[in-house]
Amino acid sequence: MTTKEREAILAMLNSAHVTEPTRRALLERLNARYGHEFFDEVEFGRLRALAVRLVPHDPAEMDLAGTVDHRLIVGIGDGWRYADALPDGEAYRELLAALPEGFETLNGDAQDAAIPAVQSSHPHAFEDLLAELTEAFMAHPVTQYRFGYAGFADAPEWPHVGPNELEPREEAYGPR
Amino acid sequence: MAPANALPTDLDVLVIGTGAGGAPLLARLAQAGLKVAALEAGVRHPPEGIATDEVAQLGLFWTDERLSAGNDPVGFGRNNSGRGVGGSTLHYTAYTPRAQPDDLKLRTEFGQGEDWPLEFSELEPYYDELEYFLGVSGPENYPWGPQRKSSYRHPPLPLNGAARLMQKACAEIGMKTSPAANAALSRPQEQEGYGTRHTCTNRGFCQAGCSIGAKASMDVTFLALAESLGAQIVDGAQVTALTMKDGRVTGAEFMRGQELEHLSAKTVILAAGAVETPRLLLMNGLANSSGQVGRNFMAHVGMQVWGQVDDDLRPYKGIPGGLISEDTHRVPGLIGGYLLQSLGVMPVTYATQYARGTLKWGPELVQHLRGYNHVAGINVLGECLPYEHNYLELSDELDGRGLPKPRIHFSFGENEKKMNAHAEALMRDLWGRIGARDVWALPRAAHTLGTARMGADPETSVVNPFGRTHDIENLWICDNSTFTSSLSVNPALTQMALSLRTADALVEGLKQA
Ligand SMILES: Cc1cc2nc3c(=O)[nH]c(=O)nc-3n(C[C@H](O)[C@H](O)[C@H](O)COP(=O)(O)OP(=O)(O)OC[C@H]3O[C@@H](n4cnc5c(N)ncnc54)[C@H](O)[C@@H]3O)c2cc1C
Ligand code: SF4
Repeated sequence: MTTKEREAILAMLNSAHVTEPTRRALLERLNARYGHEFFDEVEFGRLRALAVRLVPHDPAEMDLAGTVDHRLIVGIGDGWRYADALPDGEAYRELLAALPEGFETLNGDAQDAAIPAVQSSHPHAFEDLLAELTEAFMAHPVTQYRFGYAGFADAPEWPHVGPNELEPREEAYGPR
Repeated sequence: MAPANALPTDLDVLVIGTGAGGAPLLARLAQAGLKVAALEAGVRHPPEGIATDEVAQLGLFWTDERLSAGNDPVGFGRNNSGRGVGGSTLHYTAYTPRAQPDDLKLRTEFGQGEDWPLEFSELEPYYDELEYFLGVSGPENYPWGPQRKSSYRHPPLPLNGAARLMQKACAEIGMKTSPAANAALSRPQEQEGYGTRHTCTNRGFCQAGCSIGAKASMDVTFLALAESLGAQIVDGAQVTALTMKDGRVTGAEFMRGQELEHLSAKTVILAAGAVETPRLLLMNGLANSSGQVGRNFMAHVGMQVWGQVDDDLRPYKGIPGGLISEDTHRVPGLIGGYLLQSLGVMPVTYATQYARGTLKWGPELVQHLRGYNHVAGINVLGECLPYEHNYLELSDELDGRGLPKPRIHFSFGENEKKMNAHAEALMRDLWGRIGARDVWALPRAAHTLGTARMGADPETSVVNPFGRTHDIENLWICDNSTFTSSLSVNPALTQMALSLRTADALVEGLKQA
């Protein structure tokens, strides 16, 4: 994330447009870095490489693989899983193990070429991991800034809700 | 956490769960002068602590793991199950259509499905009362169903982008639409036992909790009233067993933190929702002489169609379910029918649904999500018939408390498949008319219904028409599990009506005893 992006995000989060509980959640997420506790070194390296291909992002600015690892350590899930699937952590381990040897060192195209095979051999784990990474990506303040999403800045009301009826704070937020 | 010695004693009635089923009756029974208390697994979520962020709000949902089986496994958690003082109403969309009279008579009309053991005329006065008490905002003249006694208490909420697009598209094909009825305030309202509830600020995050009390969740309405009348709510208290003596229920055992505690009462009402209620009954081997506990699980047909337009729509703004049409209430060839509704959506919900629904990944995924501000949605909510093949059972896998996780089998039957196909074609046509691109459809099922159905016959149902279990005289059930059929409308308002009706029956019975 560039300095300019970070400044714009912080300016909005610290403004009166954002409620305190919202600010707390987003500031914490903006700076979160987790590393790996659930996965071992090799597994985590593969997870990070896979995550970058599935939901393209820069791991230096948002730690999506670490978010998954952290969630598995904390142990809170989303309330359900497919009855014929292993528990999330084990299912992800199997998925990662099914990737070809040295996956994390392949170039992007070769990695992409290897993904459909694990998707079809481990459909539930693939879907769950994709959804979990997508969630972490979309919930990240940097993504939200780049997509011009300002919905969290709702401390004042949104008096106009029709098409193209934007408040100045919505119009101003995001790359120009 | 309140100290253990603060637990109430000499209770007339103990209610388990504080959602749409548990809360209204708690207030009604307190009003009648009974000594009542509720045990709630979740904690309190005061509006001012609610963040405008879906991930931070995960704590509103029931995240204990459930196992989803069948051809069309149902997603739980965010899709349909709440936890907290207020239950699923903390995160419902507050969309409150009434059932229509023929919804209660499917078997009579079609020879399939089931009839409810009660008439629309028995629900109607409760609908009237609830819409006023909750402060429902809606149109002056609602165009479907029987003529109403009076208009909604407040004018409709403003229509957001998706709602206006749906209005335009429906008009082109001659489909009638109307602003929906939402239990969210378009004007401030004084709420007995709570204080002033403010006007909706159009922040569109109802499904992550309302931060200003505009939405009629149970905590700012019936539960506040109940507490002002002396009812006690013990939160963070998850019931793990019902206690019995001589064929009568004597109370409930619950876990608060690491402690196992007990509360006794003369009458117990289970209102833990259509998964936890049958789970508790099955774990305890109770109220199941019919073999129907856990059977007839239903989840509404809930197909959604999404597209993107050039206009900047900002789908996070405005009440999410703004516009409705019930013109598809009856469709030739279908048993029962469905309604159509415009959809606003929060970003993370949209993104994860898109990922699961399309399995797109890589640059294609990110490119699509980049267009979030231009997304417009439309969905249906339709009848799901009760089937043998859809049921809840206890699995061998244990949860963190050492209790068996529930496994829920769900597969669409022929009627639901036909309904999905009909609805998808209609919605694709509508979204074609507004010039939407990247149109995609997400077949889904929502709400948990019908695992302890009501009926007059103890052989084929678990509770009687007022919610008392056939088997145990002082054990009642009041939540979505008692639904005889799914209805072609969202369940919360009808659930609250059933809740008040159960309370009135209980009080009447006590008077006569
Ligand atoms: C995202 C979302 C949007 C929705 N939108 C709408 C809508 O717009 N309109 C509509 O009509 N409906 C909507 N619904 C559905 C509606 O919220 C439910 O139909 C309704 O709340 C169900 O009422 P209930 O009493 O059966 O269960 P709930 O409201 O879920 O209440 C059950 C309560 O019991 C507690 N509990 C469970 N087990 C135990 C235990 N063992 N011990 C103690 N407590 C326990 C739970 O924590 C919970 O608080 C929506 C649901 C969701 C998830
Ligand atoms: S849209 Fe209105 S009712 Fe819904 S959360 Fe926002 S303020 Fe509350």
